[in-house]
Amino acid sequence: MMAADTDNTRRGSSRFEDIDWNEVEQRSGSRPLLTTIKLGSFALFGLLALYDAIRNGPFAEWLLEYISGGPQAEYTVLGIEVATGAPTFDFGSFVWDVTGVDWLFVATLMVMFWYAVVPLARNPRMTRYYWRQFRKNRAAVISMVYLVVIFLVGTIVPLFISVPTSNFQAQLLPPVFTTVSTAAGGDCLVQVTDSVCRGTMAHPLGTTRDGRDILKLVIFGMRVSMQIGLIATLMNIVIATAIGASAAYMGGWVDELLMRYVDIQLTFPQFFLFLLLSYLFEPSLFLLIMIFGLFGWGGISRIVRSEALQRTEEEYFKAAQSAGASPLYVVRRHVVPNVSNSIITAATLAIPGLILAEAAFAFLGLSDPTIPSWGTTISAGRNYLGTAWWVATIPGLFLFFTILAFNFIGDALRDALDPRQE
Amino acid sequence: MRWYVIRRVAWAAVVAFVILTITFLFLEITPDQQVAQLQFQAAQSGGDPEAALDAYEQRRGLNQPLWDRYTEYVTNYVQGNWGWSDTRSEPVLDAIVASLPYSIMYSAPSIVISTVVGMGIGLYSALNQYTKTDYAATFVAFFGISIPNFWFGIMLLLIFGETLGWFPIIFQTSIADTQTFSLANLRQLFLPIVVLSTGAIAGNMRYARAEALEYVRAEFVKTARAKGATGWRMLSRHILRPTLVPLSTLLVGDLLGLLLASSLLVEVVFGIPGVGRLSYDAIINQDTDLVLGTVFIPVFISVVGNLLQDIAYTVLDPRISYGDR
Repeated sequence: MMAADTDNTRRGSSRFEDIDWNEVEQRSGSRPLLTTIKLGSFALFGLLALYDAIRNGPFAEWLLEYISGGPQAEYTVLGIEVATGAPTFDFGSFVWDVTGVDWLFVATLMVMFWYAVVPLARNPRMTRYYWRQFRKNRAAVISMVYLVVIFLVGTIVPLFISVPTSNFQAQLLPPVFTTVSTAAGGDCLVQVTDSVCRGTMAHPLGTTRDGRDILKLVIFGMRVSMQIGLIATLMNIVIATAIGASAAYMGGWVDELLMRYVDIQLTFPQFFLFLLLSYLFEPSLFLLIMIFGLFGWGGISRIVRSEALQRTEEEYFKAAQSAGASPLYVVRRHVVPNVSNSIITAATLAIPGLILAEAAFAFLGLSDPTIPSWGTTISAGRNYLGTAWWVATIPGLFLFFTILAFNFIGDALRDALDPRQE
Repeated sequence: MRWYVIRRVAWAAVVAFVILTITFLFLEITPDQQVAQLQFQAAQSGGDPEAALDAYEQRRGLNQPLWDRYTEYVTNYVQGNWGWSDTRSEPVLDAIVASLPYSIMYSAPSIVISTVVGMGIGLYSALNQYTKTDYAATFVAFFGISIPNFWFGIMLLLIFGETLGWFPIIFQTSIADTQTFSLANLRQLFLPIVVLSTGAIAGNMRYARAEALEYVRAEFVKTARAKGATGWRMLSRHILRPTLVPLSTLLVGDLLGLLLASSLLVEVVFGIPGVGRLSYDAIINQDTDLVLGTVFIPVFISVVGNLLQDIAYTVLDPRISYGDR
């Protein structure tokens, strides 16, 4: 957002033509320490992911096949004991088997932390300014609070609770404070009269027909939605920025080629592209994220290109170029930070579409059925709508409000960051 | 301009060709799920899985060289020979044509409704910007673009079908076949039309409002106003006409895509045996030819829609010069 600190230019002591841009960067402020921590955290993440990939996951299976000629044998690679199926972290009471999606999610959160939270914290003046702009839109502030709650609950709570399983002692319980006729055929924990059953605090949002707690299903659904929304959007942003900025910077046939490709990708209706790909490959959450992330960036790249084209006409861009900065440096330090407003707005408005698409695919049964997503629960509740209204209704409400909140925030960001819009 | 149109048509053909090619490549690199199924069946019934595989490849022509298969695949699609649906035992195109009327039955009314209502509200709020009505309209638009249409359909079924009993829950094909233009058919199509229209109205409304706002303060509107044009005349003669140019193109491109995607979910929710439902059933039953056919229909609608949209621009908007393109 505000990554480009332009106070480099104030150092006029060195002669103009032999500025070592990297040296300038090193000298300014407290950046080296932070950069070291940042790079260190990414390196640590990479090592952990590699460790897990060797010890566990599909890579381990391939390795076992390759080395020992069969998946049955125990083996050690680089001193790591290869054991497929074992959880990644096991501290007695805290067991977390990190899946491929989890790794991607952690990487996304790290990128968000280093490239959004840290710059904001280092520029309190700009942060206050953005906040004052943002605060004017009350719907967006409420949406922000709602999404922060969904995000925190959805990322933290699933680490401590297990995926809800069938419980045939608590089938079709209504949500707390509501009652349902026992004629519906569910189990009943609190009987009010002979024919009326009341919901309990044990299952505040009720249960499904196979007795799974809807509150827990909803919480796991939050995680799935946040994973889809954030990971796929980050992938989209990275690809769209790279493609859009290089098309604008290089121009000529590169521009033509890249944008023609974007034309073709956008001509294929996104929903049906996703549908076809998830049909052709074995459906899983990881694959869905990959499909959304690798094929959903067309619209954003067009925005980035048109914005970047305007930036390349500006004085600072020409100044940096004539001072001998390399193309990569100019794109990274001058083009991308100055189009980031449009990128952020477009990305915020793209998130709800991806969450909705995931929910729709889960609803259609084209996602991994073992992962409790909002769409799966809605789909289950649809089959017994007449007897248990809450099963399809409650996850749908969360889905609806999440999409609404992202749309409100995207709209507010567009108003705050894009001065040309009214 | 003729040169531009010719180039644009050629480009549409290239796009269609590239999409066909990419799909062929995807089909090649992904494992065929039917093969595994056939081999499993053969092994279970005591046959030889390898023989079953050979027979399958023979039947589908998979033992030919890659290039021959590719040219045959492209020629078939160009010639309208879209393959054979195993689950329905008929050509893919026949299956699509048979289910098309059911899709048109509810999507045609909702296209008309969403265009008229959406544009009407959008223009109205542009003219009355920052009034209570405008805020209400904006809120409705947010509601419409945010509500998941499949869930909205289920909720409407729950409230108006299950609880109040105003509308039937199960779509009856016999009514749609014999009494297409009857009240009974309208009754069972009412909720799907509402669901499909809601999102499209919201989209139309937002675009119409944004587009019209650009012209409300334009010089020529001010001039018209100064010369005494008010109300309806100003709206229809001076604001609506320039607004319609980008909106007409929006109709073909975005709205059609939105409707096609929504229609699949709507048809699954309401049990309407249209093209969307056909596509869904094909996916569930692993009927690859039918899946491709039902996916290519929206793709080619989109290719042609984009083509018409660009050509419409050259006709409708004389301000754009195409000399140098």
